[in-house]
Amino acid sequence: MTSRSEGPNTSGAAPLAERIKNVAAGAILILAALWVLFPFYWAAITSLKQPVDVFHLSFVPWLQFAPTLSNWKSELVYRGTAIFHGLGNSFVIGLGACVVAMALGTLAGYGLSRFRYRGWRNRDISLFFLSQRFLPPAATILPFFYFAQRLHLLDTRLILIAANATFTMPFAVLLMRDAFHGIPIEMEEAARVDGASTLQVLLRISLPLAAPTLVAAGIISFAFTWNEFLFAFVLSYSRAVPMSVVIAGTQDVMGVQFWYVSTRLLLAILPPAIVVLIVQRYIVTGLTLGAVKG
Amino acid sequence: MLAFTIFPLAHTLYLSVETTGLSGNRFTGISNFVRLWNDYRFWSALRVTLTFVIASVLLTVFIGTVLALALNRGVRGTRAFRTLSILPMFAAPIALGYLGLTIFYQQGGPVNNMLVGLGLRALPWLANGNWALVSILAVDIWQWTPFVFLVVLAALQSVPLELVEAARLETSSSWAVLTRITFPLIRGPLGTVIILRIVEAFKVFDIPFTLTNGGPGIATRSLTYDVYTTALRNQNFGYAASVAVVMLVLVMAVAVVFYRIYGSAYE
Repeated sequence: MTSRSEGPNTSGAAPLAERIKNVAAGAILILAALWVLFPFYWAAITSLKQPVDVFHLSFVPWLQFAPTLSNWKSELVYRGTAIFHGLGNSFVIGLGACVVAMALGTLAGYGLSRFRYRGWRNRDISLFFLSQRFLPPAATILPFFYFAQRLHLLDTRLILIAANATFTMPFAVLLMRDAFHGIPIEMEEAARVDGASTLQVLLRISLPLAAPTLVAAGIISFAFTWNEFLFAFVLSYSRAVPMSVVIAGTQDVMGVQFWYVSTRLLLAILPPAIVVLIVQRYIVTGLTLGAVKG
Repeated sequence: MLAFTIFPLAHTLYLSVETTGLSGNRFTGISNFVRLWNDYRFWSALRVTLTFVIASVLLTVFIGTVLALALNRGVRGTRAFRTLSILPMFAAPIALGYLGLTIFYQQGGPVNNMLVGLGLRALPWLANGNWALVSILAVDIWQWTPFVFLVVLAALQSVPLELVEAARLETSSSWAVLTRITFPLIRGPLGTVIILRIVEAFKVFDIPFTLTNGGPGIATRSLTYDVYTTALRNQNFGYAASVAVVMLVLVMAVAVVFYRIYGSAYE
C-alpha cells in the first residue's frame, strides 16, 4: 500500500499537484464514507426510538428524543431464538454456497481464460453461464419447488446452498476468468518449464495472483446468498429459514414495524461485517503478491 | 447444475404457451403474447425497467469506477473504507426498502429536511411516480456502487505499477495514462461488471416491492414485479411466464449486443 502512494511522487510530477490530488481523494473518501454510513446510522437511531418517535425527525439520541432499548430487548428476549436461528442458517447457507460457487467458478474461469473448447467459442460459453441469471426469480421458483419436493429437500439448508451456488456461480466464473486473463501467461510457462502440472500451476501461481478478485468474488457471492429472499421464502418454512425471511417477517397486520426492521437490519449486517474484516487480510496478501509480478 | 439451469428454462417456455384456468393448464399458443402486446401494464413495466436499468447501470458504474480510481492512490483510510463500503451489499434489500420509507418520508423525513435546510423545496419522494423511481434508484445505487467499486479496485490493484510509472515518464497527462494504459488493462473486469449490473438491474424487485409497492399506481412496477404479481398473487402462471420469456429475450439480446460492441477481449 505504501509503495503505491509513493508511486506518483517518484515520477517527477510537481509534489504540490500530487498533494492537492491526495487531499481531493481524502475529501472524496470522507464524503463516500458518510454516504455509506448514513442509512446504518439512521437504522441505529430508529432502533432506539419509541414507535411514536419514528416519523418525528430527530438525529441525536438524548438531545432530541428519549432513546429506549425496549425494541432491542423485545427482539432479543422474545424473538432471539428465531433471529439467531435465522442468522445461523444464513451463515451456513452463505458459506456453503460461496465455497461451492467459488470452487466451480475458479475452475471454470481458469478454463475459459486459458483453454479453447471445440465447437464453442469461449465468449459464448461465458454468455451461457451468464444467462443463468436472465430469468426473473419469480419465474424459476416453481420448477425449483418441484425439484426440492421430488428430492425431499424442502426446508433443508442443502437445497438452499445448491440453489444459491447455482445463482452466484456466474459471478464467480466471469470475475475469475478476468482475473486469470490479467495474469501474464509467461509466469505460468516458467512454472511449467520447472515441471509443474496444470493443477499445480493453478494452485501455486495463478490463484495467489488472482487473490484480490477471488476474495472480492467470494464476498459478492456470499452477499447475494445472504440477501436472497424469494427462494428462501418458498423453499423453507421452519428448520432452514434464513435471516432474510426473518427480516421480512417484520411486516404484520399492524403494518411495517420500522423499529424491528432496523434492529434486524443491523443484526443481519453484523456477521458479514465480521467475516469481511477477517478476509480483509487476504485482500492485502493478494496485493503484495501482485506487486512481485511485472 | 445443468438440471437447475435447463429445467427452469424449459418449464418457463412451456408455461408461456399455456393458459392457467380452473381445470388446469391448456395449450393456447401465442395468445399470452398477443395479450401482452395489448397490456398497458406490460408497456409501463417495460418503460420503468428500461429507465431503471439505464440510469442504475450508468450511475453505479460511473461512481464506482471514479471512487476506485480516486482511492487507488493509497490515501490513508482507504483500507478502512473498502471494508466499510462492502457493508451496503449485505444490507437486506427488503429491510432497506422499509427503512427507505422513513428516510424518504415526505413530511419531515431526513432527506426532505436536508433539502429544505439547503433552501430547496421538499419533494414528494414516494407520492410522485417519477420521484418514486428516483428513490428506488437512490437505494439501488447506494447498495450496488460498492460492488463496482470492489471489483474495479481489485482490477486496478493488479495493474503492474511499472507500466503506469513508465507511462508517467513519457507523458505528464494523467488523463492519457488513464485512457491509454489503465483502462485497456482493466477492460475485461470493467466489461464484466457492466454486464453483471445490467443483468441484475433488469430483475429489480425487492426495493420497489417494499419501498413503493410498485406505486403510486403502477409507476414503479418493474417487469419482475409484474411476473411476481401475475404468478404468485394472481396465480396466472402462463401469462407470467410469457412476461418472463419476453424479459429473457430482451436481456439475452442486450447481453449479446454488449459482447459484440465491447469486443472480443477473450477470444
